[in-house]
Formats: sequence, structure tokens, C-alpha cells
Amino acid sequence: MLPDLGHVAIVIGLAASVYAALAFAIGARRRDAVVVHSARRAVLVSFVLAGIAATIMVISLLTHDFSVLYVARNNATTTPPFFSVISLWAALEGSILFWTLLAVGWATLVLYRYRGMHPQLMSWVGATLAAINVFLFSVMTWPGNPFTRVTPIATEGPGPNALLQNHPFMGLHPPLLYLGYTGLAIPFAFGIAALITRRTDDAWLSIVRRWTIVPWIFLTAGIVAGAWWSYEVLGWGGYWAWDPVENAALLPWLTATAFIHSSMVAERRGGLRTWSVALVISTFVLTIFGTFLTRSGVVASVHSFTQSAIGPWYLAGILIALGASSALLVARLPDLRDRDTPTAVVSRESAFLFNNVLFLVITAVVILGTLLPLAVGIFGGGTIGVGAPWFNRVNVPLFVALLFLMGVGPALPWGGASLATLRDRFGPPLLVAAVAMLAAWALGMRELAPLATLGMALFSGGIMLDEVLRGTRARMRGRREAAPLAGWRLATRNRRRYGGYAVHAGILVMGIAIAVSATLSSDTSATLAPGESVTVGEYRVTYDRLVVEPLADDPRVIETRAEIRADGVAMATALRDYPNSETPIATPVVRTSLGDDLYVTLMAADPATGSVTLRVFVNPLVVWIWLGGGIVVFGAVFAIWPDRRRVGVARTAAAPAAVEPPRSLAEQESA
Amino acid sequence: MRLLRWLVVPLLVIPIGLLLFSGLGRDPSEIPSPLIGQPVPAFTLTTIDGTSVSSEDLRGRPLVVNFWASWCGPCVEEHAVLLEAQDRYGEAATIVGVLYNDTADGARGFLARYGDGGWATLTDPSGGTAIDFGVTGPPESFFVDATGIVRYKQYGPVTGAVIDAQLAPLMASR
Amino acid sequence: MRRLALPLAAGVLLALAGLALVALLRPSTASDAATLAAELRCPDCEGLSVGESPTRSAAEIRRQIDALLADGATADQVRQHFVDRYGEWILLSPRSPLPWLAPIALLALGVAGFWLWLRRAPTPPAPPAPVASGDAASRVADEAEALDA
Repeated sequence: MLPDLGHVAIVIGLAASVYAALAFAIGARRRDAVVVHSARRAVLVSFVLAGIAATIMVISLLTHDFSVLYVARNNATTTPPFFSVISLWAALEGSILFWTLLAVGWATLVLYRYRGMHPQLMSWVGATLAAINVFLFSVMTWPGNPFTRVTPIATEGPGPNALLQNHPFMGLHPPLLYLGYTGLAIPFAFGIAALITRRTDDAWLSIVRRWTIVPWIFLTAGIVAGAWWSYEVLGWGGYWAWDPVENAALLPWLTATAFIHSSMVAERRGGLRTWSVALVISTFVLTIFGTFLTRSGVVASVHSFTQSAIGPWYLAGILIALGASSALLVARLPDLRDRDTPTAVVSRESAFLFNNVLFLVITAVVILGTLLPLAVGIFGGGTIGVGAPWFNRVNVPLFVALLFLMGVGPALPWGGASLATLRDRFGPPLLVAAVAMLAAWALGMRELAPLATLGMALFSGGIMLDEVLRGTRARMRGRREAAPLAGWRLATRNRRRYGGYAVHAGILVMGIAIAVSATLSSDTSATLAPGESVTVGEYRVTYDRLVVEPLADDPRVIETRAEIRADGVAMATALRDYPNSETPIATPVVRTSLGDDLYVTLMAADPATGSVTLRVFVNPLVVWIWLGGGIVVFGAVFAIWPDRRRVGVARTAAAPAAVEPPRSLAEQESA
Repeated sequence: MRLLRWLVVPLLVIPIGLLLFSGLGRDPSEIPSPLIGQPVPAFTLTTIDGTSVSSEDLRGRPLVVNFWASWCGPCVEEHAVLLEAQDRYGEAATIVGVLYNDTADGARGFLARYGDGGWATLTDPSGGTAIDFGVTGPPESFFVDATGIVRYKQYGPVTGAVIDAQLAPLMASR
Repeated sequence: MRRLALPLAAGVLLALAGLALVALLRPSTASDAATLAAELRCPDCEGLSVGESPTRSAAEIRRQIDALLADGATADQVRQHFVDRYGEWILLSPRSPLPWLAPIALLALGVAGFWLWLRRAPTPPAPPAPVASGDAASRVADEAEALDA
């Protein structure tokens, strides 16, 4: 009974979304506030309906209602409640339902947040978002119905995918990622609305920037959490394998990041409006592209969803979004003439634009690597192998170049820089970086990629530190403030700038940690009898005994656990046999410290003799990848934190006078 | 010039659409085998009953080499197909099973439960033979003609239709 | 000394960057067993290399790599040994030049586009932001501030 109501909610949600899309468009054409108001209501209604449907699904999972096919396939009577709830996004249909809930939620939030402002623009934003909702509800009404019933009703099910119920992180990583993905529909909707209304002014740019950064924060957190999950669960000691699912999340992140940077140039210099619109459109198309890749069975991937009939629907979605928005862009091209001013090669805007070039090249390279096996299989015949070594080799130089720009860009003045400024700003950090690289070389770091990463990170970090110190010192002198207060006031007076620095600092920390952990980790496999031990690096791991027993909270899962001690600390690493998994799932133990991680995976166990094969990794600095991710998120939140003082910044940015190159804040403060 | 701009739309949509659309019907885990048209990889393995079988012994009749495991779900359904094939073609063609990542004990339990067709089941303890055949996971089957040339590779369980379509020409050409 | 430091350091960095590009953007020439294992796909896992995977097939391939190298096989012969069995698919680092040249071509395209943007003919400055007419314009500006607050 209840599940049928769930499907009814979806069908009404579809109707409400169709109404909303049409009413927004008609209301915008007729400039009829009443119709637009009713359309906004319809979006709210569809949000409530998606909420009802999701709640019903969660209830069905919690009560193990095996009359629902989705529950029968992804749940068992023994599944713990927490994993029952998060099974909402553990498989295809449920994940689309969850996705829809979030997408409609974002749409409702934005449409109510800007109620009564920019009536024309917001109506078209509403029409675009409602059209996206129509697509999502249609998928659930037809090919991907989450409430399909099944008879006869089974008394027991297989439980959720073993990999997904093995770690509580599954409760965190997909929601963050989905919040990011779905939120990126907002800048897209603003882009489309801007094209229709021929309005890409500063107010528009300011909203789009903000509503790109908000989902960007979630996407960033989701990607880092995903890498962390992969590290803690998959047991191979790494965190990023350039799997199509990972690439699917990275692609929109790259273009969104490019937009965040180019929008700053657009804001200051008035140009680049077409470019900005193209970037937000690509970002959205890439989010559907990623969904298509992972849900259509087109490419092989670790966590791809089972093959289903929704592939063609998503393909149609991609082509409609791409075709319609590119046609609209072409049609409006004559109206989007940029206000242009000549640009010096060495200037902040050119650094930001070159950053865009690099981000887009990386995007293209990642798409190429992901689709090349498919293309060769179809058109070339035969096969081609493209994997992590290729992705790393090709992308590392591009990322290292980005690290360089990261330091240089924000420190360069708008318009152009004199040689003296360059020497003053970049000389000392360059020297520090060169010395550090030579030192690292002398200490035995022979590989080019980590050396270059280290050098660039120190160079950029040095420039940023210098900027912050100059600003703080100027405040201390000028306003007689103590150092911490001066630093805090400096940062909160220009949240965007210093929040951006914090984001960059987090990326630098991640960059160094990735470079070091990827090249300086050591690992050994050893087959041990009880009482024997193995030494890796400075760790001595002793194997005590083997325990084979059912899990306490899910007795159908048999855990084969090796109890070990590392430097006297007791811990256990296990293999878990899930009834619905052919191969046992590794449950590595990770002992984290600020210097390195001790990471032990149980590879094989022989219950007859009690001997086990352990793989022991010592991975340096890995924890700094997650901490760096935390700094990035903190910095981005700090940057967009509502602040009354920012009104002043917005005004200078909006005024045409801003075309004259303003000095960086540090210069203003010291002047 | 104005009109040329519109070319951007089809230039974006058509190639992407074509590529992704042709990807829809494909199974990305089906990798074309370089073994087709090549001599069958040589092997000498022990059956679960302890006798030795080599690829040379199997020459002269069409051969189906079936990689399987007792832990493999689709292998259960496939086993019924192979039993039927043995009934129908057993006189004219040879079937051998090669265990993939499985033990003789596991295989004996499976055969006791689902029926033993009487063909040789070979153990491949190191997995070296599976690698020589380029196996990515069970079940996978290779159809070899009487002269020892690999003619076809089946990813996933063989069906009655596959057996009929692939085995018939091999027997006809003999 | 100070005057020399900047060009000197910049030169060192540029040289290193050039070296990095040359060293990184070409197919692997590595010959040791660990690197070969890292560049071969584990046949029965998703997205892992033979070097990273715990499966039996991966262990056997690692053993075969060692055996082949001990017999005096070159790295290319070891790769070919597995390509003969699995096809090019088994390689994680492709041998075909196309995947290596394409990123360079893409980068060149990007740099060319960037150059065009820098050297573009300055267009006459547009009238200051014709966002909306009359008092609507001031309202829009007020709203923008409200939004940013």
C-alpha cells in the first residue's frame, strides 16, 4: 500500500514539475506575477512530494518490505537500521530518488530565496530548474521506478552491496557528492536564464558565483570523502585510481573551479561573459554526463550501478541540454559582446585565464582517457589500455603548472606588473623553492613529479604567506592592532581574498601530501604464523591469532579477523564474507598519525594452520590529504560567509570604475 | 559567417551522441580476445581425480575449454547447458572444465550437487593457464577447432544457442 | 647577487619544468618488476594494477614478470607477453602514441586560444552596463548588494 503511494507521489511530482516549467515560461513571457507565483508553489509541492517518496522508500527499507523490488534486491532482514537508511542511495533507482529530492530541494531553496527579485531572470531560472525536475521525475515514472513491486514476496533478501555496507562513510560521501552535483544545476539555470533575457550583468554574475561556490564546496567535500572512503575500505592502500566514477565527479569540479576564477576576471574587467556562460553550461552537462557514464554500463568501473534501461534517457538528457544550450548560446552571441580592454601578458587576469586553459585541458584529457577505450572498442576495433599511470603522467605536469599559477595569480596586480614588482614579490619564494628542491634531491627524492610539486607548492605557499604577513604588518603599524587581531581583521575585511588564500593553502597541503604519499610509501606482503612479525619502515607488526566469527550486528556476515599488534598497540584487520558477494571484502586497519599511516590488509587466511598473509603499507602524510581537504572547505565557507562589509566590495566591483587596475589589498593597506 | 556559427550545435551533439549511443549496447567487460585465430595455449594440468591432461591430448576433435568456479553464480545455470551439450555433442566434441581460483574439493561439491557430465575438470592452482587464455573472470569459454586453433571466445555463461552456433561449424569443417 | 637570484632561480625552475614535461609525457620505459606490475591491469579486478591487487591472478602475473625478467626478457617483451594473451587492454600505460600526443595537442590548442584572447583587437568600450532601463537599473544594483550581504 505505502509503496504505491510512493509512486503516486512521483507521478504527481512529475505533473507539478511540468506545470511549474510551463507556468514559469508563460509567466515570464506575459510578465504575470500570479502565474509565476503559482509555478513557484508547484516547485515547492514537487519538493514535498519527492520528500514523501523518499520517506516511503526509507520506511520500506527499514521495515524490510520485500514486496518492493528495490528493497528485495538491496536489503535483508538482518541489515542494521543505519545501513537500511543509507541503502536509499546504495543502488540505481534509490539513488535517482535521492538525487531528485536534493535537486528539487535546491530548486525550491533558490526560487524562494530570490522571490520578488529579478522577476524576468528568476522566472526563466525557475523554468529551467523545473524542466530538469521534469526529467528526473520522468525517469522515476518510467524506466527507473523505485517502487516497482514484485511477487511472490521473498522472505529474505541479499542485503545491500557488500562494499557499501562495510563502512559508515557511505552515509556521508554520496550525500555530499550529490548535493554538489545537483546544486550545479543552479548556475546552469542562471546561465540559461541570462541567455534568454539577454542579461549577464554584475548582479547576475554575483549570484551565479555564489551559487557555484555553494555546490562546489559540497562537491569538493564529496570528492575528498570519496577518496578517504576508498582508502579506508578498498584495502589496496591508495585513494584515487582514475576510475570512471571518480572522473565523473572530478570533471564538473574542474569546470566549476575554472568558472569561479574566470568570473573574478569577468567581474573586474567586464569581459568574458560568454565564456562564463559556456563554463556553467559545460559544468552542468558534465554532471549528467557523469551520471550517464556510471549508470548506463557504458564503461567498466568499480562502483558502476547495474545496467538498466535508464541509459538512453540520460543520453537524451545530455544531448537535449547540450543542443539546446549551445543553440541558445550561438543565438545570443551577438548580444553578448564583451566590454574589452587590452591585457598585459603578466597580469592577474591573464594568470586567471591561463588557469582556465589548464583546467579545461585537464577536463579534456580526463574525458579523453575515460572515453578512449569506448571509442577504440567501437570505431578502431581491438582494445587500448588507459589507466592510472597514463592519467598520472599526463595530468601531473598540468596540475603542477596550476600550483605555480595559484601562487602567482592572486599576487599579480590587475592590468599588468612591473619587473620590480615581480622581483620583489616572487624572488624570495622562488629562491626558497629552488633551495628546497635541491635539498629534497640531496635527501634522495629522485622523482621529478614530487620534486616539482614540492617546489611549486613552496613557491606558491611562500607568496601567499608573504602577502598575508605584509597585510597584517601594515594593519599592526597603521591601526596599532596586535598581530592575531590584525590578521583576523585583515581576513574578515576581505573574506573573498583571504578565504581564497585558505582554499589555495589547503590545495597546496593536499598537493604535497599526494606527491609524497604516492612516491615515498613502502609496503611488504608477508605470510605469518601466530607469534611471528614483519617489519616495515619503523613499524613492527606482530600477528597474534586468527578469529572467525559472525558480525555482532549482522550475523550473516562472517568475519575472518587477524588480531595483530603494531609497536605494542592491539588492532585487527579482517576479511568479511558477505552472503551476496563472491569475493570477501577487505576491512583494512589504518593507524593514522600526522607523519604516516600504518595500513594493514588481510590478504589471505588459512583457518587450518592459523597462518595469514598480511600486506603492510606505511604511507607517509596521507592524513594531510584529508586535512588539506578540510582547509579547502573551511576556506571556501569563510569566503562566502555573509558579511555586511562585503557590500562595499560588491559596489566597487559593480561600478565601471573598477576597470582601472586597483592595487591588491596589501598595497592599499601599506600605502 | 553568422550561419557557420550554428554548425557548433551539430558538431557538438552528433559525435557525442553517436559515441555514447553506440556504447549503450556494449558490455565494457567484453574484451576482444587476441587468441582468436591463434593456436590454443599449451597446458598440462591435473584433473580433480588426479590424472594428467595436456592440450596435445585434446587435439583432433572440436574442443570447448570452459573456465568456471564453484563460487561463481552464473556457472550454475551454465552447467546445465554444458550437461545438455555433452549429451548432444559428446560423441563429436570434447568439453574440458578448468577451475578458476577454486579447489578440487569445491569442484567436487559443485558436481555432486548439480550433476557430473563426466568430462575432465582440470585444476589450475597457480592460475597460470587462466592467464595464458587471457581469462578475466569465470565463466569464460573458448571454442577450439580440431586442428587446435581458437575460433571463438564466450564471455559469461554459454547458452544453448551459442553452443549450436559455434560448435556446429567446427564439427562440419572436420 | 640579489639581482642574479631571480633570473637564476627562474631559469632553474623553467629547466626543471621542461625536463618534467619531457620525462612525463611519453610512454614508460621502466624495466623493473615493480614498475611493470604497476603498469599492467589486474585482470580480475576493476581499475587496479597487478602491483596493487591481492588476487591470485595478480600474484601469478607478478611471478611471471619476475620469471621473464630473470630469463633475460626486456620490459617490452614482458609487456608483449601479456598483450598476446589479453590484448592492449592489459596495459594501463598505453603503447600507442595517440594518447600521449593528444594532451600535448590539447594544451597547444589551449595556449593558442589564450594567445588569441591576449592579442584580440580591443573593441570600443560598450556603454556602461546597460542592464535595465531607468530606475530599474538602480534597483538591480541595490538587489545585488542585498544578495551579497
